[in-house]
Amino acid sequence: MRVSYCTDLDKSVVVANCEKRGWVQVGPEEDWNIYWAGTQTCRSLFSVDSGYRMNDNQLINHFPNHYEISRKDLLVKNIKRYRRDLEKEGNIMAERGDSKYLHLDFIPVTFVLPADYNMFVEEYRKSPQSTWIMKPCGRSQGSGIFLINKLSKLKRWSRESKTPFQQQLNKESYVISKYIDNPLLIGGKKFDLRLYVLVTSFRPLKAYQFKLGFCRFCTVKYDSSVAELDNMYVHLTNVSVQKHGGEYNSLHGGKLSVQNLRLYLEGTRGKKVTETLFDQISWLIIHCLKAIAPVIATDRHCFECYGYDIIIDNKLKPWLIEVNASPSLTSTTANDRILKHKLLDNIFNIVVPPSGMPDVRWNKIPSSEALGDFELLIDEDLVNASENGENSSARNNSKWK
Amino acid sequence: MEELKDKNIHQTTIKICEDLKNSSQYKSLFEDIQKLVATPSVKIEDFKSTLLKCMQENGLEAELKNNIYRWVKMKRKESSSYDSFFRKSQIHWDKRIHKSLNSMCSELGISLAKLRGNSEKEELLNKWNELSNFETDIHKYRPVYAPKDFLEVLLNLKGPKRDKSKCDNQRWEFAQLPLRVKNLSELRNLYLEISRGEQILNSNTMLSTNQNFVQLEAERILLGEKILMKNYAPLAQEYLKKGCPKCLRARIWALLLGAEIKSYQISYFDFLKQNVLQYDLMIDKLIIKDINLTASNDDQYFVFEDVLYQVMLCFSRDSEILKYLPNQPAFMQVAFKGKPNTPENTIVFPPSGVIPFHGFTMYAAPFCYLFNNSVELYFVFRAFYLRYWHRLHRVCASSQGIVSLCLQFERLLQCYEPNLWNHFKKCRIYPLRVVIKWIMRAFSGHLPPEQLLTLWDIILAYDSLEIIPLLAVVIVIFRKENLMKVNTLANVEAVLADLSSIAVVPLLQMALMKEEG
Ligand SMILES: Nc1ncnc2c1ncn2[C@@H]1O[C@H](COP(=O)(O)OP(=O)(O)O)[C@@H](O)[C@H]1O
Ligand SMILES: [Mg+2]
Repeated sequence: MRVSYCTDLDKSVVVANCEKRGWVQVGPEEDWNIYWAGTQTCRSLFSVDSGYRMNDNQLINHFPNHYEISRKDLLVKNIKRYRRDLEKEGNIMAERGDSKYLHLDFIPVTFVLPADYNMFVEEYRKSPQSTWIMKPCGRSQGSGIFLINKLSKLKRWSRESKTPFQQQLNKESYVISKYIDNPLLIGGKKFDLRLYVLVTSFRPLKAYQFKLGFCRFCTVKYDSSVAELDNMYVHLTNVSVQKHGGEYNSLHGGKLSVQNLRLYLEGTRGKKVTETLFDQISWLIIHCLKAIAPVIATDRHCFECYGYDIIIDNKLKPWLIEVNASPSLTSTTANDRILKHKLLDNIFNIVVPPSGMPDVRWNKIPSSEALGDFELLIDEDLVNASENGENSSARNNSKWK
Repeated sequence: MEELKDKNIHQTTIKICEDLKNSSQYKSLFEDIQKLVATPSVKIEDFKSTLLKCMQENGLEAELKNNIYRWVKMKRKESSSYDSFFRKSQIHWDKRIHKSLNSMCSELGISLAKLRGNSEKEELLNKWNELSNFETDIHKYRPVYAPKDFLEVLLNLKGPKRDKSKCDNQRWEFAQLPLRVKNLSELRNLYLEISRGEQILNSNTMLSTNQNFVQLEAERILLGEKILMKNYAPLAQEYLKKGCPKCLRARIWALLLGAEIKSYQISYFDFLKQNVLQYDLMIDKLIIKDINLTASNDDQYFVFEDVLYQVMLCFSRDSEILKYLPNQPAFMQVAFKGKPNTPENTIVFPPSGVIPFHGFTMYAAPFCYLFNNSVELYFVFRAFYLRYWHRLHRVCASSQGIVSLCLQFERLLQCYEPNLWNHFKKCRIYPLRVVIKWIMRAFSGHLPPEQLLTLWDIILAYDSLEIIPLLAVVIVIFRKENLMKVNTLANVEAVLADLSSIAVVPLLQMALMKEEG
């Protein structure tokens, strides 16, 4: 039994992990068991005209329509729909107070432009002092993002982008989100969290959270004044942005581990608030996945590792910023390399059944030893089983039902 | 006999009272008691017992007891017949450091101390919370010495009565020094709770069973809160023996060390800050350089860089440190540049008497995980320095001093892993050369912060640094298999470079618990 793998990404962590397992690299045309592919490759493989049919011993690292979660506009659309649906059902999770959702208020108020322009203006007028952030729906790494504190600035931007030449360029739509202007600062600097979540199935939902995420710090002190509105080193935490700054340090890469963040918060703010924060983070991850579960084309050959971007505000409330379907696997520092190596290793341990050969007929219930640094977030199979009283397995330790 | 003892106690009491009156806590304590005396519950007819009762009810008795407890800890003196020998060696070493500072000054064309101009003062003040943005050119400065240099000094200690005939080999070992260190069974007696395998709360408990950890932690928190309410320092020390929950550590440590913040501490810290603003010391650059070389590049501490600048600069101005250090270091008297050599223009250089070595910042950095506020951080760090850290970079005969700790490392390794010891010897690798940095920095910057704080809990709990060489030996032994495979210093260093997977409490338990049967 030889396991073969294929990858179209030139990432050393991927290759090193596969080699370590004794898997043999093959080309895409050959007989592969595991494909670690870019999203484009994956999409064309699944497209009708490719005519490719996978067999039972093949796994691939993306779901066909992952953009339902990774495109900024679709993510928001799906979450809004999810909340509305729950509300219609009369589900208490969709309870509102003061017009806001009490339990599902985890994304900043967001509109899609140009489509929702009028709704945005209405919201804008409610608090004209607020700052907003404009982001192109389909781009990443901080590109094309800018901050807005006046409606006139947006109007000017849209006028300029309507010129015929620009029209071509700006066919892409944008989201505009309420800017979280009170982020939690450490050492005076803004940061966000990069957390990894592995999904091996959407219906039933099976998801795992990686314990070893990190915080990505800005290199310049946070300053919410208008003068610094255009200074991306102050506002955007993307490493791809920060590494161009003069203050970037390549030894630590601006990355602090989540365990150390937790140590710091428990030490300086106490246990209760810290625990609540991390519980709320797990909560928002699960509900975000539940929100897209109905629209994902579920396919037994697929698994996917998401990079969640989360900002914590100074009241220790977490906010979901976006979800990446191809989180960066490039290592910026020595510790980063160790982390990403473990990530890949643990992912393979979970998606490959104990036999060692990928097999979609497997029930996708890994042993607790196989989880490594992943923690079970939710497995609806196990939830259902224990609700039916068939199985009160000790493994079913998910906090969220 | 009885009479003699009474007299002794009497003398001690007088001494305590005297010292207490001179301490910084005294004023506020005395004022609080005065206020109490003015209340109707203290009766003139029965002054003593009513006052005592009131003090007990108002927590002032605990405060007074805490002061005495800390006094005893501070005054604990071991004297050895070799004190004067070690003292001479330290003074000799201090002089070498001073010489090296002076020559760095003349090389760079700068002076040891000068008053700051108004514009510089203002800039420094404006950037007090972001000192990483304060422009200073430090690229020509280099650390005065590093742990390896200090080890050379220690190895060159000739020993007060060394046998001249067998010297060559001696560059190898500390064995020639006539100091007594604890063997494993004495260490087992000292670290009784660990040796007995009692349940100790630590982050690695989590790995075994999550449920146990949650329950144990809840119990510990409950007990810890009670002790904090009682405000009684000896209990805090006892408490730490069974492990400290992360959320209580800052308060437990502050209580144990008497580093609580009152108005005196706030104004004293501000006074130190004013001193930093007022004059520029050559070692300011060394301090900045050290933070630059260590914390600023470290993914566990880089976010705290600015707090560390404040704390370390203020530390250098703190003359109380020089006053409280048990063996006063040799210090220089320096006049400000361009000023007449009169007493007003002369300072002790540096006021703290402490000249940082490469990695000195690491004595303070881990406290950033416990305190947001620089003043709180400062006083806990300072208390640690005065109790422990100063012994790690100074030559002394104390059983807590670096010389004894090195010797202890050596003895334990030799005794429990003679094969490994001989392997090192055969390859002419001196293991202390690899681990000296762990010992001198009390593992700070080497262990991940959570493990490090657990180790420092144990230092406080047993009021001893002997856990450090013990842990160093255990780590070396733990990696024995890989160490036996290599035969160069560089490779040995590589095997011991990464301590990120070390679990302090389980490792120590493994070493100290007696095998069954
Ligand atoms: N609503 C917001 N409030 C505050 N900061 C934000 C907000 N949205 C984005 N950011 C900042 O901008 C960065 C990039 O935004 P993100 O949505 O992740 O786009 P990209 O795909 O370009 O990474 C985030 O990592 C975060 O630091
Ligand atoms: Mg992003």
